[in-house]
Amino acid sequence: MNDEQIERALAMSELKVDTEDALLRFRARAAGEQIVPVVVPLRRRAPTRLLQGLAAAAAVVLIASGLALSGAAGSILKIFEPRQIVGVPVTPSDLSYLGGACANLQLQQCLGTYGTFTWTTPPQPKEVPSLTAATNAAGFTVQTPASLPSSVTGQPRYGVINQSSATFTFSADATRQAAAKQNRTAPPLPANIDGAKLFVTGGPAVVMVWGAPASASPSDPTANIPTLVVGQAKAPVISSDGVTVAELQAYLLSQPGISPQLAAALRAISDPTSTLPVPIPAELAISHQVTLQNGAQGLFIGDNTGIASAVIWQRGGMIYEVIGSLTEAQGLAVANSMR
Amino acid sequence: MTLPAGGRDSVAPLPAAFERLFRAEYTRVVGIANRILADQGEAEDVAQDVFLSFYRAHPADAGYAPAWLHAAAAHAALNAIRSRTRRARRETAEAVAPDAAAADDPAAVVSATETQSEVRAILARLPERSAALLALRYSGLSYEEIAAALDVRASSVGTLLRRAEDAFRREMR
Repeated sequence: MNDEQIERALAMSELKVDTEDALLRFRARAAGEQIVPVVVPLRRRAPTRLLQGLAAAAAVVLIASGLALSGAAGSILKIFEPRQIVGVPVTPSDLSYLGGACANLQLQQCLGTYGTFTWTTPPQPKEVPSLTAATNAAGFTVQTPASLPSSVTGQPRYGVINQSSATFTFSADATRQAAAKQNRTAPPLPANIDGAKLFVTGGPAVVMVWGAPASASPSDPTANIPTLVVGQAKAPVISSDGVTVAELQAYLLSQPGISPQLAAALRAISDPTSTLPVPIPAELAISHQVTLQNGAQGLFIGDNTGIASAVIWQRGGMIYEVIGSLTEAQGLAVANSMR
Repeated sequence: MTLPAGGRDSVAPLPAAFERLFRAEYTRVVGIANRILADQGEAEDVAQDVFLSFYRAHPADAGYAPAWLHAAAAHAALNAIRSRTRRARRETAEAVAPDAAAADDPAAVVSATETQSEVRAILARLPERSAALLALRYSGLSYEEIAAALDVRASSVGTLLRRAEDAFRREMR
């Protein structure tokens, strides 16, 4: 296929566009939705709520990745190790049940909806003074971006999350009680899941934060509004003594409030044992797969205004993420420059 | 959507700089989206969303405005095509390739329609930047304009474009 044939393949009939009519529609929409334009030159800062949300997501991924294997018996089978990352759009209605169960609760309490979550070694985030100190504390070579957008200036601050470990034990009783608190009836926990244990492995993790106030801790990115957060962690591995990912997926899909769209998106994951699904709030953000220059497959997440974004990818058993007030091109450029 | 009394014609104009930008770039933004979506109605919807995103958050006289709009059009259209599973069915039913539009031969029309569907499916499968590069280039953007939109060096566009075309050819086989 030569250039001319490609051009023909991508060719479209000549458009007849009525720009003035389109502008009238745009004016009406802007007025109807009461949208006000930017009136001062934009500082490339993301909306606080969104960036905090992305930072919180980063914290969850990194803390989840910071869990390490507890001493497990010989019967333990590895059931999950992410080798690819996909976005799964979720709507408020999808989250109405779990959101209700987890309202104002910590992760540990939220998971109590389905059983007992116990830290064997809890994560203890701390700030360290330098890249060398972060590398020494993490025990792996910390990659840093070779180039940054002009909007990101100054030196980063470093946070390290130690190796830690946790066990989760499913409980049919806990599931029933949590559902009853919301006046709902959850599907009964299958007998082979009741009492089964999950062991989570991964970590440690390193976070680099640019633009954070000196008074804020870089290991708690939700406490401030950084311009750029770069994180990396050993990918989590989950092992179990009796339950499979397929069984867990089937049970999740049977929960109250899960929309057909979300169920279809989860079922479409061809290999749930190696695919990390990242929930994307459908009302606030978009996502799509990206390929980095080193061939790593990742996920781009951007807010609907195009101001804030995140790139998450996996390579060589590590999970990386770049989050900030960046365009997609800038986020990918930072990701591609990681060395 | 509820319009102010008097309908959309009575809605007050937007800031002059934004309206100049809209008039200057709307056709091109629709063209980029249409190159990917092969559906003018959908492409115009994407263009409206893209301009709305820009209007919310960026000054209309920003130097990067055209580049931002071009990139956003490509990415938004690629997102749309990827997320719409109904697209294949609709294209099969409706789309007609330009070369076949006037053809009398039904077999040629069917063949061209299948090619259209395949082309859109390939764009959806290609890496984001490659698909965007192809859409922008074949929408008539210069290397400099593509470089600005995708935040790459102008001197790299030729190489990146060749790679994207190679990837496209491989998928078409």
